[in-house]
Amino acid sequence: MTKRIRRHTPATGAPLSRRELLARSGSGLGSLALAHLLTGSGLLPSASATGRGSLAAREPHHAPRARSVIWLFMEGGPSHIDLFDPKPELERLAGQLTPPSFKLPVTSATGSHRMPIVPSLRKWRQHGEGGLWVSDWYPHVAQHADDLAVVRSCWADGLNHVGATRQMNTGSILAGRPSLGAWATYGLGAGNEELPAFVVLTDDKVVRGGPTNWGAGFLPASYQGTHFRSDGPPVLDLRPPSGVTDSRQRSRLDLLQVLNRHHAGRLPADSELDARIEAYELAYRMQSAAPAAVDVDKETEATKRLYGLDEKETARFGTNCLLARRLVERGVRFIEVYCGSGSGWDGHAKLEANHTKWCKASDKPISGLLTDLKSRGLLDETLVVWGGEFGRTPFSDTNSRKAAPEDYGRDHNPWGFTMWLAGAGIQGGRTIGSTDEIGFRARENPCHVHDVHATILHLLGLNHLDLTYLHNGRSERATINGGKLIDELLA
Amino acid sequence: MAAIGGAFQPGTRLLMIQAIRHRPVRWIAAFVLGLALGPPLPAAGADAYTRAQRDYWAFQPVQRSEAPPGGEWVRNPVDGFVLEALQAEGLGPAPEADRAALVRRAFLALVGLPPSPEEVREFVGDSSPDAYERLVERLLASPHYGERWGRHWLDLARFAESSGFERDVTRGNAWRYRDYVIAALNADTPYDRFVREQVAGDELWPDSFEARIATAFNRNYAEEGNQKDLLLARQETLHDITAVVGSTFLGLTYDCARCHDHKFDPITQKDYYRLQAFFANVNHDDRFPIVPAAELGEYRRKLAVWEERTAHIWEEMSDLLMPLRNYTPSELLARYPDFVIEAIKMPAGRRSPMQQWMASLLATKTCGTCPLRPKPHLDPVFRNVAGKLKGEDKARFEALDAELQKLAHLKPADIPRGTGITDVDADPPPTHVLSNGQYTGPLEEVEPGFLSILDPGPALVVPPDGGRSTGRRSALAGWLADPSNPLPARVMVNRIWHHHFGRGIVATPGDFGMMGERPSHPQLLDWLADEFVRSGWSIKRVHRLLMLSSTYRQATAPAPGSAPERARRADPFNKLLWRFPMRRLEGEVLRDSALRVAGLLNARVGGPSVFPPLPEGTPKPVGGWKTETRDSDHRRRSVYVFVRRNAPYPMLDVFDFPDSHESCAMRNRTTTASQALSLLNGAEPTEWARGLAARVHREAGIDPREQVEAAYRLAYSRRPSPAEKETAMAFFDRHAGIIAAALDQGGESPVPASVPQRVSEANAAALVDFCLMLLNSNEFAYGS
Repeated sequence: MTKRIRRHTPATGAPLSRRELLARSGSGLGSLALAHLLTGSGLLPSASATGRGSLAAREPHHAPRARSVIWLFMEGGPSHIDLFDPKPELERLAGQLTPPSFKLPVTSATGSHRMPIVPSLRKWRQHGEGGLWVSDWYPHVAQHADDLAVVRSCWADGLNHVGATRQMNTGSILAGRPSLGAWATYGLGAGNEELPAFVVLTDDKVVRGGPTNWGAGFLPASYQGTHFRSDGPPVLDLRPPSGVTDSRQRSRLDLLQVLNRHHAGRLPADSELDARIEAYELAYRMQSAAPAAVDVDKETEATKRLYGLDEKETARFGTNCLLARRLVERGVRFIEVYCGSGSGWDGHAKLEANHTKWCKASDKPISGLLTDLKSRGLLDETLVVWGGEFGRTPFSDTNSRKAAPEDYGRDHNPWGFTMWLAGAGIQGGRTIGSTDEIGFRARENPCHVHDVHATILHLLGLNHLDLTYLHNGRSERATINGGKLIDELLA
Repeated sequence: MAAIGGAFQPGTRLLMIQAIRHRPVRWIAAFVLGLALGPPLPAAGADAYTRAQRDYWAFQPVQRSEAPPGGEWVRNPVDGFVLEALQAEGLGPAPEADRAALVRRAFLALVGLPPSPEEVREFVGDSSPDAYERLVERLLASPHYGERWGRHWLDLARFAESSGFERDVTRGNAWRYRDYVIAALNADTPYDRFVREQVAGDELWPDSFEARIATAFNRNYAEEGNQKDLLLARQETLHDITAVVGSTFLGLTYDCARCHDHKFDPITQKDYYRLQAFFANVNHDDRFPIVPAAELGEYRRKLAVWEERTAHIWEEMSDLLMPLRNYTPSELLARYPDFVIEAIKMPAGRRSPMQQWMASLLATKTCGTCPLRPKPHLDPVFRNVAGKLKGEDKARFEALDAELQKLAHLKPADIPRGTGITDVDADPPPTHVLSNGQYTGPLEEVEPGFLSILDPGPALVVPPDGGRSTGRRSALAGWLADPSNPLPARVMVNRIWHHHFGRGIVATPGDFGMMGERPSHPQLLDWLADEFVRSGWSIKRVHRLLMLSSTYRQATAPAPGSAPERARRADPFNKLLWRFPMRRLEGEVLRDSALRVAGLLNARVGGPSVFPPLPEGTPKPVGGWKTETRDSDHRRRSVYVFVRRNAPYPMLDVFDFPDSHESCAMRNRTTTASQALSLLNGAEPTEWARGLAARVHREAGIDPREQVEAAYRLAYSRRPSPAEKETAMAFFDRHAGIIAAALDQGGESPVPASVPQRVSEANAAALVDFCLMLLNSNEFAYGS
């Protein structure tokens, strides 16, 4: 441990004292966080032997079960009671106002807690050896039932999209905190030399709340997620301007490095200056590595079909799922794939039409991803997470007040909803926790977003209580003041 | 632990830590945790503090001590304190920086721009003894000084020009607060006045538009427009304000005490809510008129005429559109919680203060889901359903619209408006200590009050005349600007020190508490704080003290010999300042400096923010980004680039622009590959390089050696060494060949904005690349 600190202690130049270092370790920092704080806070230069500076790979707290995370984010809020959590009671109560025993909230997003209950129109069947219930909206996903651990008792704090999406990403409905991907990168560093450690893939529309969802918050910016664009070079300013060939770029960089050496020669040794020299070399490598990583033309036709790239409805999300696999292969640590970015799944009205579309868009690609990961032996070390920012209410939405009965919608439901996890050695084919009889509130074994985050970090080899960063006098962590491991998932 | 706590004294702690420094980290961690915690905190109360807390340095009165005399190196008292600390460790200062380096340092520090070669030559050639003093004076008097130092304050004020959250709604008048800050710093507004204006300008100087705009310091919070639970929205805003006020003016992390007594500092949970109570009745006003009364009267008179003449048109238009709307106002109101509906339905005179507050918030909403319908011409969504009109109705609507157009000449142009906060009225809702910080968990009721360890009683609040305000914030402002308050002056001089030397005397400028750093030069900090107050809280006076010192004038490289090695061992982090520290420039300074040396900078001061083009492939931010049509508007200083809270400008974002959702006292300083990509490949840096190359051509002609001379003088404020010249020559040879080969194959290449005749395209492009690499280099990025 002391060795690690020594390794990060620079020869000169940076304003962080041994005493600060101790005070910071006193605030609950593990040595890992400590070393990171030194390199990442700007108080110490961020150089390292690998040239990745603050992104240098680091030892986890305990043996990890997952090397990478693929988070499939169904943005807008998929209806758990129409996908994974069947509720026959809804048919009995259909048309009635929610009985007071279910404890209505003071407010809902559109005031729909004063609206009648509507039943699910789905056909339900049990799948796999575990007999997991999956509705007819997800026939391909259902084929993987024995790989899915379905948590039916999730709950969150955000009533509106931005707050809820932000909380699912950062733990807080308010902006300003680091996203889970940033925490994971802070804890573990990058798993490769030439690509960002944390990548975000979306549809054409902007995710509600924008880049704050994958931001680094108060952590150094080097940990923030990188949004890969779908057209052209995946990373901002990745491609040199037209006319700048590779040999020309190399020649420019060679000049730059000589200029920098002249400069360094006049000054005391300074690893921050060295780090900047390294950063340019990394940028140069990234220029070829990143486009190669996203070149799906390298895949076979069979693989493309597996992800639904040959069908209009599934091509977009399928491509992103395929990219996710390619990034996992290259050691990218945390990949977030949005389906329906810009609140696509937000079925306030005409839930049937809305969810038919998005389930179709995601069903085959998810199935293809799980199949592909498994056949390549990657599923065991890759954690796949599925969920939205919340679920949907058992009562209909005020927006469907004037609609025909079959055109009902459902409102936002952060009080109880479903997420599932697969891979990373998690035992599938089972459900964990439950909601009440109408799927409104989490009942048995409620799992808050913080609990989900703590569990994901645990699977990555990080203890959420030890992964801290001193900010404004507080040892901040990903789970803020909460977070308990979902033991059933880990069992 | 108890034993350790009993021995817990400010001085002892350091000794103990020194004694344990060879222990394993985990052991030390547990030990220091015990130290930092001290004995367990008893419940709040007048005598509830431990001796350690009462003795804690930051809560002691500022004590001026005489500066150690020192020797000839000592130019002013700053040097006396610094030298004494250096000598105590057996160290000495570095030699003075050469004059070219010094003038560049002073320019970058005070105005955030490098000097021109002429300005360098003038200063280097000026042998009069007060040349440097006059340089500092000239820079302090520059209007660009406020742009540079105003940005530091805007970091603290979490300044942004949009709401954040889902819609990230533009706040069209937010820039006026930015201009207020810049102007206040340029005018050297006494800091105590600066504080009072921002905390309570509306109460203290209701007739001053500037003072009212200053209150936007507390308006800069993010806001969720579609939050139906208005009490939750209110509480989040109050939490935000409490944390930002506590850290900005007092350097304390009050925020920790939202849910429980502060774990380390003597800030009780009750203190947190006592501070919050000062703001219990505030709401924002983003549209108050800022024109003289006569002009305002004229505007209102004309508007009334126009409204009267067009009333029947609006009414008929409304009748046509209302049935097409998805929701009636009452349906929209029904989406709100019962307590909001009750508040709205309650006649104004009978509302409780909290109900009155909710009504005032609802009245500020003009979004499409607002249940209170504004006048049609103020309703941004009024016409949204007009497209659905058919047949006769459509024709009628168009006719009405035409009629409206005919009367358009009667409508007065809107007047300039300001943004800020104000109290809803003189009667505030009660403030309670809240369980877990949730408004649904009210505990004990509290009155406004200061930090109890300094002043346990309730604050003396005198409501101003007119009955429109509580007077609470005036009371708070008085305490924050009181010379006997031990924190504000110390915190502010430390911020100035932090920006000049890269590290504060207290290295955690936003946290003077126990989890923060202890001052490296406590007597110097107090001397500066005292001098600051004595000088009438003059910020420029502090700049002079710091910049005219020998400490500031040191070179970045220590004198050769064995001294540097010893210094590096004794003080590896340069806390004692045995040399001038070097830091990467902030994104703003980097961009502005590049624009300046490229000859492209539009140095216009003030006014609405600008929208430079976003890099190709950047998603269009929610809330909009209306790219300027004129190139000169792209090239304004970075402080004028629009700050969209959810999507900061990429070139600044990549260089650690702070997240404007919270106050930032100390920016991160990262070194990343994304920064390299932006500066290497970005469209904006290519423009800089073309501009610089064109300037080099203009000033040096076509002789490559002359070009290198000119480029170095422009970019680095110095001449190249012979070795550097040779490097450049070798590069031109090699690089022009590479470019020529590519051009032969039909490629194209950026060339300077203007190329003299007789210069080949390949040579011109090679010069652009040379200039781009100068701007990418460490010497440029580090300012020296």
